[in-house]
Amino acid sequence: MFTIKTKGFLVAGAVAIAMSSCRDTHNNPGTEFAPNMYHSVAYEPMTQSEGDTNTINPHGMNMRLPVKGTVARRYYPANLSDSVKRALLQEDLTARLVPSDSIAMSEAILKNPFTATPENIEAGKLQYERFCQHCHGEAGKGDGLVGKMYKGVPVYSSDALKDVNDGHIYHTITYGKGRMWAHGSQITPENRWKIVLYVHELQKQ
Amino acid sequence: MITMKRLKIVALTAVLGILALVVRVNAQDPAEGEQIFKNNCAACHNTNAETLVGPGLQGVSQRRPIDWIVKWVHNPQAVIASGDKYANDLYNKFNKAQMTPYPGYSEAQIKSVVAYIDAQAAPATPQAGAAPAGGTQAAPAAGASNGGMMEYILVALLLVMVLVLVALLSIVTTLSKLASVDPESEAAQNVPFLQRLAENGKKLAGNNAFKTGAALLITLLIGKATIDAAYGVGIHQGYAPEQPIQFSHKLHAGQYQINCNYCHTGVYKGKGANVPSANICMNCHNAIKRESPEIQKIYRAIEKDEPIQWVRVHNLPDLAYFNHSQHTNVGGLECKNCHGEIEKMEVVEQRSSLTMGWCIDCHRKTDVNAKGNAYYDKLVEIHNKDHKEPLKVQNIGGLECSKCHY
Repeated sequence: MFTIKTKGFLVAGAVAIAMSSCRDTHNNPGTEFAPNMYHSVAYEPMTQSEGDTNTINPHGMNMRLPVKGTVARRYYPANLSDSVKRALLQEDLTARLVPSDSIAMSEAILKNPFTATPENIEAGKLQYERFCQHCHGEAGKGDGLVGKMYKGVPVYSSDALKDVNDGHIYHTITYGKGRMWAHGSQITPENRWKIVLYVHELQKQ
Repeated sequence: MITMKRLKIVALTAVLGILALVVRVNAQDPAEGEQIFKNNCAACHNTNAETLVGPGLQGVSQRRPIDWIVKWVHNPQAVIASGDKYANDLYNKFNKAQMTPYPGYSEAQIKSVVAYIDAQAAPATPQAGAAPAGGTQAAPAAGASNGGMMEYILVALLLVMVLVLVALLSIVTTLSKLASVDPESEAAQNVPFLQRLAENGKKLAGNNAFKTGAALLITLLIGKATIDAAYGVGIHQGYAPEQPIQFSHKLHAGQYQINCNYCHTGVYKGKGANVPSANICMNCHNAIKRESPEIQKIYRAIEKDEPIQWVRVHNLPDLAYFNHSQHTNVGGLECKNCHGEIEKMEVVEQRSSLTMGWCIDCHRKTDVNAKGNAYYDKLVEIHNKDHKEPLKVQNIGGLECSKCHY
């Protein structure tokens, strides 16, 4: 009933539809025209290119751990005329001398380089929302969604905590305390000090 | 009679009420205890027997005399120093971690807390954090559309073709009916519907107009498939690779509302957003869901000091430079502007096409966030002199080749 020509068309159409519909499985990124323009030839921090992984570092990683005790300088100014930046650098270097289990020492010697201006507190609130809120809760009552699962999250305004000072909070963020683990690797010293300012606000609530 | 009865009832109620009041005053107030407990103790102690940071307090009033408890709460260090055996055993059992002293609470208040703990213990309260049922592995919708405009045109054409087909079929049917048999006759009534349809189909296949239409349709479909395939080269939209650990963004970012920045530490300050190292997982998973086989993979990676080889989902071509902090911190974009609703994805999928057209489109439309940023003051001033439109990204070089390709 169909001519050969029509049949040919029909078959070609079916093949084309089948091919185009099965092209994308979710595990397949698809065709790349020029892969060497897509994947960096130079080492990138988190590259994962098949075939030529890094042969120098363990596990083919491009990143290496910094030498123990390395002080990152990129957030500090070259000249220290800015008093806040200078104090920040000083406090950071001092804090590095404090052993991780000596919260009393931090309490005694560390002082917040930032003053509690509305801008700084607002900046602290932003950082608090990003790094603390899911456990400590919006108002620092220890009732964050994760905190309820994790358990043992204190209330900032409780009698034991309502008076803790700058150094105590900074030490807790950096090295952890009780059930809380160290968050120093995630938050820069500058932002830690700003969070301290905001936690002071929550202690009053 | 009635008044007597009423009086009696009133008197009885009054007596009972006073009695209840007296009992309430005499006993420790568990409500006050609850308040104090939740504010101060709950961080480290459970009211059941389960150890949290310190020991579970279920049955503490039977374990220790109330005087001892009061002394301990007021000053644990002094009790330990006094050589009390129980206190020292406790101190050693919990790795010499000292409890915070609470000298501010009166004996009555501490008794209230104990009363609250006892009240909690009475009805068995299993407090174990039952893990929420792991969501089903919703496979992301595969098959991304690339054509855009082309797609619409083709769909419209297809619709027209179908309509024409229907019209043709009905005309042929009517005509053949009229031509061949009298519709009222016996024969026409007796022919079964399917047979009639088959006959009509055969006639249709012989129809020249139909053949041309079908050929055109098929050519168009082939054309669309070809163009789609060509446009899809190098575009990973819809790519949702299986990861070495079945991490769910829907659970972490959606249900638990953990901020993206908590794990992707570089997103506001660096070129890359960073894939978190295992120590960040451990901030919660040192305690949560420790038995899960997926979580065990993290522990194994840490023990062996091996990296977890997450599969990269979004890969902008190496020929284009992109910096996260420029867009999130300076531009104030939300993560979801480019990454889609990550908080609803069980498996992360590339939602945007990440083509140059997609970048340029946004650079053309987006106003520069110049508020409170003195860097832009002069630029805005100059721009406003001879433009009515607000300052867009394209006005400050957002379309320059060398901004991204160098």
